[in-house]
Amino acid sequence: MLKSKTFVKKTRSGGVMKIVREHYLRDDIWCGSEACTECKQESTVLQTDACMESSLCSYPHYLIPDTNVVLHQIDVLEDAVIRNVIILQTVLQEVRHRSAPVYKRLKDIIHEKEKHFYTFTNEHHRETFIEREPGESANDRNDRAIRVAAKWYSQHLKTSESDTDGLKVVLLTNDQGNKQKAEESGLLVYKFEEYIKSLTANPELVDRLALSNDDKNEITSSKVLFPEHLPLSRIQAGIKSGSFVQGTFRASRDNYLEATVFIQGEGEDGTEILIQGLQNLNRAVHQDVVAVQLLPRNQWVAPSSVVLQDEGAAKDDNVEEEEEEKALRISAAEAARKATGKVVGIIKRNWRPFCGMLNVSQIKESTRHLFTPADRRIPRIRIETRQASTLAGQRIMVSIDGWPKDSRYPNGHFVRSLGGAGEKDTEQEVLLLEHDVPHQAFSQAVLNFLPKMPWAITPEDMVRREDLRHLTVCSVDPPGCTDIDDALHCRELENGNLEVGVHIADVSHFIRPGNALDKEAANRGTTVYLCGKRIDMVPELLSSNLCSLRSNVERLAFSCIWEMNHEAEILKTRFTKSVINSKASLTYAEAQMRIDDTNKNDDITKSLRGLNKLAKILKRQRIEKGALTLSSLEVRFHMDSETHDPIDLQTKELMETNSMVEEFMLLANISVAQKIYDEFQECALLRKHPAPPPSNYDILLKAAKSKDVAIYTDTAKALADSLDVAKVDGFPYFNTLLRILATRCMMQAVYFCSGMDNDFHHYGLASPIYTHFTSPIRRYADIIVHRLLAVAIGADSTYPDLMDKHKQSALCNNLNYRHKMAQYAQRASVAFHTQLFFKSRGILNEEGFVLFVRKNAIIVLIPKFGLEGTVFFDSKDKVAPSIVFDEEGPTLTIQQHTFRIFDKVKVTISLDASNIQHQKIRMALTDPVIPGVSVPVPDAEPQAKKPKLDR
Amino acid sequence: MATVQVSEAEKVYILHGIRDDLRVDGRGCEDYRHMEIETDVVSNTDGSAKVTLGHTAVLVGIKADIGKPRPLVPNEGYLEFFVDCSANATPEFEGRGGEELGTELSNTLYKVFNNKHSVDLKSLCICPGEHCWVLYVDVLLLQCDGNLYDAISIAIKAALFNTKIPRVRISTDEEGGKEIELSDDPYDCMRLNVENVPCIVTLCKVGHRHVVDATLQEKACSVASLIISVTHKGTVTCTRKVGGGSLDSESIFEMTEAGKRVGKALHAPLMNVLQQEEHLGKKKQKVGFLG
Repeated sequence: MLKSKTFVKKTRSGGVMKIVREHYLRDDIWCGSEACTECKQESTVLQTDACMESSLCSYPHYLIPDTNVVLHQIDVLEDAVIRNVIILQTVLQEVRHRSAPVYKRLKDIIHEKEKHFYTFTNEHHRETFIEREPGESANDRNDRAIRVAAKWYSQHLKTSESDTDGLKVVLLTNDQGNKQKAEESGLLVYKFEEYIKSLTANPELVDRLALSNDDKNEITSSKVLFPEHLPLSRIQAGIKSGSFVQGTFRASRDNYLEATVFIQGEGEDGTEILIQGLQNLNRAVHQDVVAVQLLPRNQWVAPSSVVLQDEGAAKDDNVEEEEEEKALRISAAEAARKATGKVVGIIKRNWRPFCGMLNVSQIKESTRHLFTPADRRIPRIRIETRQASTLAGQRIMVSIDGWPKDSRYPNGHFVRSLGGAGEKDTEQEVLLLEHDVPHQAFSQAVLNFLPKMPWAITPEDMVRREDLRHLTVCSVDPPGCTDIDDALHCRELENGNLEVGVHIADVSHFIRPGNALDKEAANRGTTVYLCGKRIDMVPELLSSNLCSLRSNVERLAFSCIWEMNHEAEILKTRFTKSVINSKASLTYAEAQMRIDDTNKNDDITKSLRGLNKLAKILKRQRIEKGALTLSSLEVRFHMDSETHDPIDLQTKELMETNSMVEEFMLLANISVAQKIYDEFQECALLRKHPAPPPSNYDILLKAAKSKDVAIYTDTAKALADSLDVAKVDGFPYFNTLLRILATRCMMQAVYFCSGMDNDFHHYGLASPIYTHFTSPIRRYADIIVHRLLAVAIGADSTYPDLMDKHKQSALCNNLNYRHKMAQYAQRASVAFHTQLFFKSRGILNEEGFVLFVRKNAIIVLIPKFGLEGTVFFDSKDKVAPSIVFDEEGPTLTIQQHTFRIFDKVKVTISLDASNIQHQKIRMALTDPVIPGVSVPVPDAEPQAKKPKLDR
Repeated sequence: MATVQVSEAEKVYILHGIRDDLRVDGRGCEDYRHMEIETDVVSNTDGSAKVTLGHTAVLVGIKADIGKPRPLVPNEGYLEFFVDCSANATPEFEGRGGEELGTELSNTLYKVFNNKHSVDLKSLCICPGEHCWVLYVDVLLLQCDGNLYDAISIAIKAALFNTKIPRVRISTDEEGGKEIELSDDPYDCMRLNVENVPCIVTLCKVGHRHVVDATLQEKACSVASLIISVTHKGTVTCTRKVGGGSLDSESIFEMTEAGKRVGKALHAPLMNVLQQEEHLGKKKQKVGFLG
């Protein structure tokens, strides 16, 4: 049956358009219930025995939530207790329209088999489709559609099965009017809160209920604290006329009364507007998109350097606040003042569930508590819970529900507990969540796209592939690596030249564009390596098995094969999809041993020696061209195999074989970059590393000058050369320190689409063009590059998104974001493990070097642990000693002693666990001895008692 | 224009018949052929109607769009006409064959309908001098069997009656910037007052008499015709003479009088039918183009 849906829309040019869509109704949409005998369905989702222990409904029943229930109470719906739910298409569409994240979560629930969530396409069902009536609003129509569908279900289930088990449907809605109408038409209907409270077996669910409107009022004082937000239409008009500006709200980490709003300008650059004071911040939360009105110039202020944490008990009267705000308004020099504004409206909230801890209210019986997020930029959130005593000391997640204008804090609800604070698993979860690393198990929808096991290479696979199984290919990786992306071979050709092959796992063979697996991988962007844990970008079957180029199994590969002469000049480059059979998976150390062991002369070893010889030449050439060799200390933890606690820590050392593999990967990446750029000028995915602005080098130059060493930063080559000759007698570590400093001066390398940019240069590698091709298992960028290359050599077909530079640019943005976050997460993980390590070690005395000198502190690097820490010279409770800071040096003179960059100091290291949410390593000076500043050397290291096991 | 070849004998037969007030198909001189009207036939227009008159079939669709008012009449909207003579109607229209006729028809329609006496143009104004509704009236000839003007005018009246213009609101922000806001209820729309919309009556001079709603054969016997647009009150709003022959003033007067009479009689049943159809609402059975 055909119906048409008509609606009018305003076009961008201001016209009005009438849009008519055809809408087909069908009579073969089944109810999805196991109990139904009438519907000719092949598989059912909803169980006959749909029992939830509810005191309201003692009979088996299915739930039909309305849109608002899904939107606001998704946290509860996600709980394993809630099963057998019918999600109507009307609801699904509305949710999709209103909130993308909730929609995604809902889709994930629906895909989960155990949850028994069924989508009923009521809009296309002949008996449940309704048309909008005159005078009916869109929402009313949807509510009616939901009621009609619920009614249909209740009648359908009544007739289909004799009433022995009496299956019923229960409509859940929070809308009073809807509820009343539903009751009138004889439906079973409850408010969501009512129903959840009736689940007697699971009282903890009540805490997760989002606060609905009528609850909010009682919580807050009636005093209006904030100015009203403007409606969206006013905001849009204001932005159009230029009286408001739109930007991203970025709260300050150090001062809760201050924030900046970042206004995206033309191209890369943007401007920032300062926002100060609670009223002006007007309930904006970090990362929200807000509309800002600039204040008149005479009200502009300078950013304060005061550190203010929102601490203590809940403040509902703002006496205290006013004082704090006053503290901000130190009269600043005219020049230091920045454009200042106030938030007038919120364009888009960017709330996510936040991790943090509960501040249990002092009043014992109180159910309302404040929650302090781990991220200092997020305000404290008021939540309601009955299990405060259990939750205290745990890391929990909380969602914000809203921020009424008469409430000092946003209102939220408890989502779930992550575990005890300080426990390893909990902290790992927290850092993944806080860095927005998608780390849930892969959903069934994604797993469905995996190849079926047992997997074998079929003749069809071979059609466009070269058979390279006879070659002596081997892989060299760090120990314990299970996702082997790359393998190498080298052999002498009959004409005396060398053939070198880099074989990369052919991940794009398994991940086809556009399917759920591809989308998931594109979203994750990268595999995240934490200490002792790996968050895969693709499911394990691919990452550690089918794509991993393990030894002695046949694997699909994408090969880049060069013919080189013995001077490592490339004579010919060739790309092909291939099948290889790796002969050995070696570690760097094993490979090194084979090369060094003159007794060994097997094919693998010969191949490795050839590679090593060429790599050395390549590296020399590269350095001659001006590639930088930078340094950063990477540490490796030795983990206890049982408890996974770190028991020792060492800095990673580099072997010749590391750089051997690296050289060939760089070569492959450059070759591929050139190829895909030649083929696709507009849409090649490349990686660039911009040259840093000269001012970035200031700190390096000053530091070098203090040791009378000259550093030239005009070009990468000059920098590399001057770093090479920078040496100070009797200070062997100086060069490394200098390189560490140079690394800090660098810019971030980023992915970009060649059609959107014209600067391709990679500064660090001194290459005019570069991309990532060699690690498709752990980086999504490489998969795209593989696809581009496959199209270029005719080995695979293309698809529209691949050639769309705007889509690709958007993808690059996500990849860059994910890479940055992965890096932060990695660092946070190392920091956390360092803390664990020091927790078990007690107090240590170590030698270190001054890396930076700040106004009131020095930053000390301990090479032994690769650890950096700050030694503060002023603190709240102590009278500050006389400190003289000289910015030119930079030097810091405390009483008689002057600290310079690179000074050798001794410090004592301990773990400061006073703030359980933000544990940190504390360093204190022991040598040089400065009275009143340094601390006495602690007694012989009180080697900690055997670390207590937490579980 | 579509023509048929008529032999001398046929001509004489037709002429003599008309002289005795009996036409070839049995009608009297002032009778119309069987007429069918259906409105709301094209869903993506704002108003549409299909009219068949004998074998003549026309389809009219009206799209309302927001435009700028004409500078001379800042507080009125306006209508635009386009007549598409498709080759479906007759093979002569193939290529650019129908263009001349199309222009001629649309010029006449423009004269007849685009004035404030026929259509309430003031109601089409949204914001004086800035925004008004422009009604794009598209006429599609599906089949030609004579008397196009009458069929088209009836179809236009029916389509105007059927037209639903989305209701808009003008909101002003503090800077005085004006923004058009659209009602989100698709049923919330403005209807046009078609009371004064005229119908065209074409009178063909055949021999010494004149007929309304001439078939192609009768047309071939006629030397000249008079196009008269008449409102429901019998007011003549426009007359136009077409055809090569001449008309004496006496017969013009006679023809005008006849036109007024016929026109007046045409409006009442037309409005009746339209209203009846409107009352059916959703229960209306759609006939469409295959019925």
